[in-house]
Amino acid sequence: MIRHTVLFTGYELRKQFANPIWPLFGIMQPVLYLLMYAPLLRTMTPGGTTVDALRMFTPAAMMMIAVFGALFSGFGLIAELRDGTLERYAVSPAWRPAIVLGRVAKDMLVLVLQAVLVLVVAMAMGVRIGAVELVLVLLLMAATGLFASGLSQGLALTVRDENGMSQTLNLFMLPIMLLAGMFLPISFAPGWMQFLAPLNPLYHAVEAGRALFGGRLSDPSIPIAFAVFLGLAVLTTIWSMRSLRKIAG
Amino acid sequence: MIIQAHGLRKTFTTRSRKGVQTVEAVRGVDLDVEKGEIFGVLGPNGAGKTTTIRMLATLITPDAGTAVIAGHDLLKEPAAVRRRLGYVSQAGGVEDTVNARAQIMMAARIHGVADPGRATAEVLDRFGLTELADRPGRTLSGGQKRRVAIAIGLVHGPPLLFLDEPTTGLDPQNRANLWDRIRQLRESGTSVLLSTHYLDEADALCDRLMIVDHGLVVAEGTPADLKREVSGDVITLRTDQPGRAADTVKALARETRVDDDLLRVYVDDGEHALPGLLRALEEQGVALTSIALDRSTLDDVFLAKTGRTLRDAGAAA
Repeated sequence: MIRHTVLFTGYELRKQFANPIWPLFGIMQPVLYLLMYAPLLRTMTPGGTTVDALRMFTPAAMMMIAVFGALFSGFGLIAELRDGTLERYAVSPAWRPAIVLGRVAKDMLVLVLQAVLVLVVAMAMGVRIGAVELVLVLLLMAATGLFASGLSQGLALTVRDENGMSQTLNLFMLPIMLLAGMFLPISFAPGWMQFLAPLNPLYHAVEAGRALFGGRLSDPSIPIAFAVFLGLAVLTTIWSMRSLRKIAG
Repeated sequence: MIIQAHGLRKTFTTRSRKGVQTVEAVRGVDLDVEKGEIFGVLGPNGAGKTTTIRMLATLITPDAGTAVIAGHDLLKEPAAVRRRLGYVSQAGGVEDTVNARAQIMMAARIHGVADPGRATAEVLDRFGLTELADRPGRTLSGGQKRRVAIAIGLVHGPPLLFLDEPTTGLDPQNRANLWDRIRQLRESGTSVLLSTHYLDEADALCDRLMIVDHGLVVAEGTPADLKREVSGDVITLRTDQPGRAADTVKALARETRVDDDLLRVYVDDGEHALPGLLRALEEQGVALTSIALDRSTLDDVFLAKTGRTLRDAGAAA
């Protein structure tokens, strides 16, 4: 079981890095956000320095790559559904969940890599974060990625069509981003949005990320975010494995 | 016996705006495949070939029926069946972005092959793919991709290989090339179950075959036996009065069949039957537009069993 999961993780990783230009582009996006969006945000941040803005925005950027990097990874499954690769795995002795778990594990490893890069850029721009906070931020991001990747694989196996999948993702992307206070703090929002925000799981991740970057280790948002995302990650992973069973019989 | 299946049935239910629809894809199929044999499932599109193969490959659970595959019960020990099976689907299962070697190696590892590197090199060599091994799937031609697909299915040395429509979409040269490679499997002792809607493919490749239509087996046997059962030769006449012509030649033929302005006359020995047949038509004053004499094919078998030609059945499906 574990052998097959490791096998699929390795295979997916090699596939991802067979052409290193695409993961590099993937890594560039959050870095560009830091470089171009943080200065824009500066005028609105209490304190008004770039470092203050970055402390606000870096955790948001990290959760953003976690969610949106991983949400798109299901597209690979649709291609494999079509070209018969999944069918072939289903007739092999492969442990079924490993087919999905390998991808989810790959997504998490890539995310951590991207996160480290974002952190390096943020630190170069003057942000400081303690070691415990750093580890917790990375773990939180991995949990967020686990949730998003599981969701994406499950969605791909249910929708089974690239077009439908991208429309579905686009539909949810904007409200999820804005209601998480990723780009603009939710305290700027009208009452009804402030009411809706806590229903958005990503809101908790961003809040916890900000608490960690602010060095507030005892902030209640941190255990809430971990509880929410570990719970959701378990649910979406189970869902994606079940969706696979529908195809493989 | 490498496959023994009895009474396989599968009904699909689809829900759409038009309401619930049920399709009886397979309605009771028996199938026996000997060790080392190439066994064909021939039939038009929609006959239930793929559903049958997918049931035997553990992908779909049959509604009814039993099967023992490579010594293991299909329903009770699917995992054991999967370990002994090579499966090449209609789609092929070759990834566009990954090179052939990596895909074959991965398949070998999943099966726990002792030396995946060597097994991969061997199967690449056997299918003439060594030169192409490091090119991504999307750069391969249709024929090359098919060879990769079969190599993936064979890398763990299974005693039984399933090929679902292996040559669909290939040009004649690539088909002939693939046929040779499939025949070579027989020499290495691998049993093959293949489905096809090509008559010539079934005729050229299979030791035995069954013809399926609408989810049922309509005939089974060796290609030669099946053709002999229908008759040796077919004389095809084109005329304005096919009905009258049929009445005229009935006594001389094993069977006649009218299809628009075509009259097919089944006889044991076409060369010797033809002069008498023409004389009889002449005496009755039936004018002919054209005449052709052919050896009977599996299409004639299909026609005799189902009342349709395979080509018509395929177009209607």
